[in-house]
Amino acid sequence: MKGFALGQYYPADSVIHRLDPRMKVIAAILYIVASFLCKNFFAFVLLVVSALFLTLVSKIPLKILLRSIRALIFIMIFTAVINIFWFTEPDAEPLLAWKFIKIYRGGLFNALFILVRILAMVIGTSIFLTYTTSPIALTDAIEHLLRPLAKIKVPVHEFAMMMTIALRFIPTIVEETDKIMSAQKARGADFTTGSLMSRAKALIPVIIPLFASAFRRAGELATAMECRCYHGGEGRTKLRILRYHVRDFVALFVIFLFVGGIIAINIFGAKYGWVYTM
Amino acid sequence: MSKKKKLMAETELASAEIIHPAEDPKLRLLNVSYIYSKGTPFEMKALDSVSLDIHRGKLTGIIGHTGSGKSTMVQLFNGLTTPTSGKVLLDGEDIWAKPKEIGKIRFRVGLVMQYPEYQLFEETVSADIAFGPKNMGLSGEEIIERVNEAASFVGLPQNLMDQSPFDLSGGQKRRVAIAGIMAMRPEVLVLDEPAAGLDPQGRRAIFSGIKRYNRETGCTVIIVSHSMEDMAEFCDDVVVMAHSKVLMAGSRDEIFSHAEKLEEVGLDIPQITRLALMLEKEGITFPESLYTVGYATEAFAALFDLGEGGGV
Ligand SMILES: Nc1ncnc2c1ncn2[C@@H]1O[C@H](COP(=O)(O)OP(=O)(O)OP(=O)(O)O)[C@@H](O)[C@H]1O
Ligand SMILES: [Mg+2]
Repeated sequence: MKGFALGQYYPADSVIHRLDPRMKVIAAILYIVASFLCKNFFAFVLLVVSALFLTLVSKIPLKILLRSIRALIFIMIFTAVINIFWFTEPDAEPLLAWKFIKIYRGGLFNALFILVRILAMVIGTSIFLTYTTSPIALTDAIEHLLRPLAKIKVPVHEFAMMMTIALRFIPTIVEETDKIMSAQKARGADFTTGSLMSRAKALIPVIIPLFASAFRRAGELATAMECRCYHGGEGRTKLRILRYHVRDFVALFVIFLFVGGIIAINIFGAKYGWVYTM
Repeated sequence: MSKKKKLMAETELASAEIIHPAEDPKLRLLNVSYIYSKGTPFEMKALDSVSLDIHRGKLTGIIGHTGSGKSTMVQLFNGLTTPTSGKVLLDGEDIWAKPKEIGKIRFRVGLVMQYPEYQLFEETVSADIAFGPKNMGLSGEEIIERVNEAASFVGLPQNLMDQSPFDLSGGQKRRVAIAGIMAMRPEVLVLDEPAAGLDPQGRRAIFSGIKRYNRETGCTVIIVSHSMEDMAEFCDDVVVMAHSKVLMAGSRDEIFSHAEKLEEVGLDIPQITRLALMLEKEGITFPESLYTVGYATEAFAALFDLGEGGGV
């Protein structure tokens, strides 16, 4: 529980940690786009290399990174397996045929590519966004990037404030859940045995106090904000002002180079008919 | 664990030097350490190989500065948390010997957590107090009897019993929460800061209720508190914690005779003890250490009697 409460943010001193959060959001989006652009074997090699490079540069221990992958392992295997069975090549000899199941060489590659693609996306986004950027910095960045939408009356600031508050209270609420569960365990509540129904019922003594305190906290926070004359985003200045540095532009340049590289490999691949395209 | 390792661990336990040892302790900690978030960058050692005895039937107070590991320690007593290393013995038996039956331990060692008022959830006060006994599988009559007994220990008036616990004042909620544990009649009652944030009168009421529980049922009681004055007044034994370790433990007299040592680690000594220390510096000596106003009155009276040859 506690591990979750602290969020995924992993404090370390790396170039990626120091990048401007806005740049990291853009980088993450470009990285996802790049992984979708990959069309042939060599493009995927470049994608794998880039993921390894990011891991090394970010100084996130492999063990920690694997944890975020483990959460998605089921989806990854599921998609890969589906791809193996779904793939048909009309004029190729299947590698294996048994009743209606036919497995083709292309299907295997396809599954592998999809696996690599999901892996790279998870690694890329978690390195850029979750592990190296604190949630508060991330909301700040999103507010900045969405600011143009305020022109068409989208309440960007309010959304950002809601998100900040929600993020701020996740650890508090998790901690409180822990505490209430401990308190009820001390009174003999049992959350781990019994039928599904009785386990759901066992949660009542946790949920009621949790809601009661969440509402109380919300009320208190609203009062506190009003006492400090909070009146929405208009004319509000920031404590931490985001500024781009040279390193941010260098990083952006590298990312563009990477996307360009993938596009180039795709074009060459198409021209010379490289194998294992998808 | 390999045989050799196990043997080593056992010899280590045998060699543990227990603070404030008892012949037949109710609770014993053997080389207990506890580390929060082990294996992450946020690792935090909250208890550092503590070996301690809690004497049977006594009212033991645990004091220490904030963050010294008091709450961490009391949560080990009833198996809410598992020690990172070391053993917790209840009546000489390892409470984690059968991890599946830890629920039974929790009925034998009742823990009132810090700020327990947020755990109330039932529709009425009496139903909330009955939650623990119900989980023990007791009969209806037995439950009603225990609820009433617990309510009288903490001084909850009968007219509150049918109200919603959410409509009570902070101090009243606190009493309901304490009664909820007392109603389970645990052999060991552990209370983490039962009087934090209450007014002096509320503090006294709660402490004297707890003391009455201790004296009338003969159960072992452990109280965590910041207040030296309360400790001095109500406890038999005192455990002093500092920086994740037990600094000292012993009977109340023993501990308060080291008042200077307590001040060194930043703990408040009772004001009356401070006064006595100041007077001692001036050359006035008392037969024993002073820590409650009651004793002090007697001691001063005796002093004046001697000094002025009879009447004042
Ligand atoms: N859930 C937790 N996760 C990580 N560290 C914790 C956790 N709970 C406590 N700690 C740390 O362990 C140390 C001991 O905490 P503990 O709550 O036992 O102190 P305490 O003596 O009860 O203090 P207080 O008098 O303020 O209640 C503290 O430094 C605290 O920061
Ligand atoms: Mg505490």
